[in-house]
Amino acid sequence: MEEALVRAAIPRDLGKVLGVESQTKSKAEAFTQAFLKNSIHQPTRHDLKSMLSHKAVILGYTRPKKDKSKRNSKRAKGLNARQKREIKVFQIKPEHQRYELFLPLHGLWRQYIIDLCSGLKPTSPQFVQQKLLKADFHGAIITVVRSKCPSYVGMTGILVQEFKHVFKIITKEDKLKVIPKRNSIFEVEINGFISHIYGSKFEQRASERSAKKFKVRGTIDL
Amino acid sequence: MAGQLKDKEAYQRMNYLYQAAHCVLSQNPENMELARFYCFTQRTIARRLVLRQDPSVKRTLCKKCCSPLIPGVTATTRQRRKNRKTSFTVMRCLSCGQSKTLLNNPDYCLWVDRPEAQLEQQKQPDPGPSAKKQPKNPKSGGSASSQSAASTQQQRKQKQQPSSGNKKD
Repeated sequence: MEEALVRAAIPRDLGKVLGVESQTKSKAEAFTQAFLKNSIHQPTRHDLKSMLSHKAVILGYTRPKKDKSKRNSKRAKGLNARQKREIKVFQIKPEHQRYELFLPLHGLWRQYIIDLCSGLKPTSPQFVQQKLLKADFHGAIITVVRSKCPSYVGMTGILVQEFKHVFKIITKEDKLKVIPKRNSIFEVEINGFISHIYGSKFEQRASERSAKKFKVRGTIDL
Repeated sequence: MAGQLKDKEAYQRMNYLYQAAHCVLSQNPENMELARFYCFTQRTIARRLVLRQDPSVKRTLCKKCCSPLIPGVTATTRQRRKNRKTSFTVMRCLSCGQSKTLLNNPDYCLWVDRPEAQLEQQKQPDPGPSAKKQPKNPKSGGSASSQSAASTQQQRKQKQQPSSGNKKD
C-alpha cells in the first residue's frame, strides 16, 4: 500500500506550485534505479570475504607522518592523467542503451541547427556551410555516402561522440559503430538541406574545429 | 561588435552541448561518461577561444572530472556552518569526489549582475530552483530548450539572481 503511494504521480496543482513536472513511469523507474545504485554502492567496496581472509597482523607500530595538507591543495586542481585512467568514454553501456533514447537528442540538435542558421536555406548555401564548419554534430543523423572502404558505405546512425580521427555512431539496430573519418564522405541532412562532409578534411578534435580556421588544401576528393 | 559575432556561434555550440549533456542524463541516468564527454568538449571550446562563462553555468560543472553536477543525480549537496554567521554549501561530485564550496551570502552581487558590466538591456532573471529542475524533463526539454537557448544565448550577459542566495533558501 505504501509502495503505491510512493510511486503515485504528484497531483497537478501541487506540481504547479512546486514548479515540478512529474515524469512518465518508465523514466521515473529508470531514475530511481540509477539513484539507488549510486547511493548504495558502498558494500561492494568492502568485500567481506577478502576482508576476512586477508587479515593484517601488526608487528610494529609507527605513526605515519601526515604531510599531505600542502600537497593536496595543488592536487585538487590537477586533472589530466588521472581522468584518462578513469576512462571517459563509455564502454559497455550501448548494449544497455537503445537507439530510441537518443531521439530526443536528435530533436535538440535539429533545433540547435535551425537556430544557428536562423532560417533554413536562405538561398545561400554558402552561408549555411560556413556555419556548419563550426557547428557541433553530436546528435546528428549521419550517413556514409562514399568511402574507400566499401563496407562503410550506407551506414546510418546518430553521432554519439566525435574524436580526433573517428566518429562513433549508434545505428538503429542498437549497435555502436566506430567509423574513421579519413577517406569517407558523410552526409548530413537538415530539413531537406543536404550537405556532404569530406571526412579527410575534418580530422580535428571536435573542440579544435570550432577554434581553427579552415584552409583549402589539396583536392577535394576521397 | 564583429568579435562578438564570431563568438556567438561558439556560445551557441557550448550552450547546445550543455543542454545535450542534461538531455542524455535525463534519458539514461546511469551513463555518466557521455555527459562528461559533452561537458569536457564544452570546456575545451571555452578554453581554446578564451570565452567567459556565466558563473551559474560554471558552478554546475565539476572542475576536476568535467561532469555536470545535478544535485541528486550526480552530486550531493550539503550545508555546513563555520561561525554563527557564515554558512557554506558544499557540493560533492559523486564520480570523482571533488567537493565544491560556495559561500551563502545573500547580499553578494556577481560581477556580471552589476550595472556597470551590463552592456545590453537586462533580461528577466531565471529563478534558481526551476532552472535546476529543467534537466529532468525530457519532453518539455524539447520545447523549453528553445526558450532556454534564447535566454542563455549570451551566456556572459545573462542576468540571474546570485544563486548562492537561492541555495540558502
